[in-house]
Amino acid sequence: MRGVLGAVLIVLLWEGSARGFALPSYTLPAVSEILGGIWAQRADLLSGGATTLLEALLGYGLGTAIGIALATVITILPWSRTGIMPVVMAVNSVPVAAYSPLVLLWFGIGVSSKIVMVTLAVGFTVFLSALAGFDRVDRRSVDLLRSFGAGQASVLWRLRLPAAMPLIAAGMRVATVRSLIVAIVTEMLGARSGLGWIIYQAVVQIDFVQVWAAIFVASAISLAFFGLIGWVERKVIFWR
Amino acid sequence: MSGAVALPAPRGAAGLRRAAPVLMGLGRLVLGLGIAAAVWEGAVLGFGIRPEYLPRLSAILSTIAATPEAYAAGFLRTALETLIGFAAGVAVGVLNGVLFLRAPVLRDMLFPVFVVSQTIPVIAFGALVVLWFGNTLLAKAVIAFYLTFFPVTVNTLVGLQSVDPRQMALLRSFGATGRQVLLRLLLPSALPQIFVALRLGASLSLVGAIVGEWFGDTTGLGVILLQAMYTEQVTVMWAAILCAAVLGTGFYALVALAERYLVFWGAEA
Repeated sequence: MRGVLGAVLIVLLWEGSARGFALPSYTLPAVSEILGGIWAQRADLLSGGATTLLEALLGYGLGTAIGIALATVITILPWSRTGIMPVVMAVNSVPVAAYSPLVLLWFGIGVSSKIVMVTLAVGFTVFLSALAGFDRVDRRSVDLLRSFGAGQASVLWRLRLPAAMPLIAAGMRVATVRSLIVAIVTEMLGARSGLGWIIYQAVVQIDFVQVWAAIFVASAISLAFFGLIGWVERKVIFWR
Repeated sequence: MSGAVALPAPRGAAGLRRAAPVLMGLGRLVLGLGIAAAVWEGAVLGFGIRPEYLPRLSAILSTIAATPEAYAAGFLRTALETLIGFAAGVAVGVLNGVLFLRAPVLRDMLFPVFVVSQTIPVIAFGALVVLWFGNTLLAKAVIAFYLTFFPVTVNTLVGLQSVDPRQMALLRSFGATGRQVLLRLLLPSALPQIFVALRLGASLSLVGAIVGEWFGDTTGLGVILLQAMYTEQVTVMWAAILCAAVLGTGFYALVALAERYLVFWGAEA
């Protein structure tokens, strides 16, 4: 309740200072002005938002699947860890955004380069949290299950996966925001459509209301995605 | 360090014994890097990977060696932006955490807004921040700051709130003032939690600095990356990526080292 109050206060403060001090739109446009801008550009923003959302969702799905699969492989086949982990760590030591120009060169400025980047960012986040989750199982619980004749796969399914679920879910929640950020950043470097591309063009054309309009739309999508994953998480991990 | 069983050793060897694990670690690091370099070089040659995908490590290194000043300048510039943004983010984050602990009304009002602000694709602001602050070092530091302060705020608050109330009561009963309780009990107890956020912030602030440079600048690793993209020089791009990796890993290691010294009681699980 207080949170809503805080948000309303901030919006009022924003609107008031933008109108009251008659701030030029390159400093800070009023909220009402931005909302008007969104309405005026709704067709462009809708198609741009759809493109960005598509890239983020596809990359998110791929990244989550790859991340969990890789963590599973490492857990089932312990000997593969020494081979895979150093490579993962080396690739991960570079800030993801630094790969954007390279991936753009490799995959072109179409949709595929954004999906690759999102997959990369989401994949690492989910992989690391899934691995931490699988690893935190009590050694003695594993030994107990093994002594009853359970194989690695069975230990994974019955013990490690349930124990790792909260961590995996936390990683997936963080990854939602990250997927949109990475999609937008990569679009800014070069794209044919998408919110990042709209932002870039608006900056070049010095149209700041439109920059803000695109940011608002991106935030709304991001919030909705975050909320959706959080809701699914509460449904799936009921024991928390 | 449960494996390090104290062996009876002559007194003079104490210093050496303490330095030994560090030297061993360094040795292993150098060995690991050497193997990685060999595997990289070998894989590119062996599988015949074309240089537009992955150039040989030696080619990348010689690219750096050809114009070391450009890379050094870019490295320093990006490092400075990252550090300033990180330091400001940590200071504001810890202050916020303490403020939110003291004023729950403020916390309830602002915290949800902060959470929402972090789901905003921050980088989209980059263009605006560069406009507000001009094409300066400060603009990039602000972006790095924005990415850092939130995790620090959250973890400081969580750490402060998890302090045992009985310990507070004990200190109070000895007549400790609010400031003493904060400095002697609350902040030290929250330190392990805060460091979790600092390690996260170390990586995030570097991303902020690099992406911030894309909105227009003349020096920095992000600039080198962008220019290499336009001229399609993959080797230069890899050289910049390598520099970014060194910067990121080094910064992360520094934070982890500070943690080892400051949180010497090792509260992290």
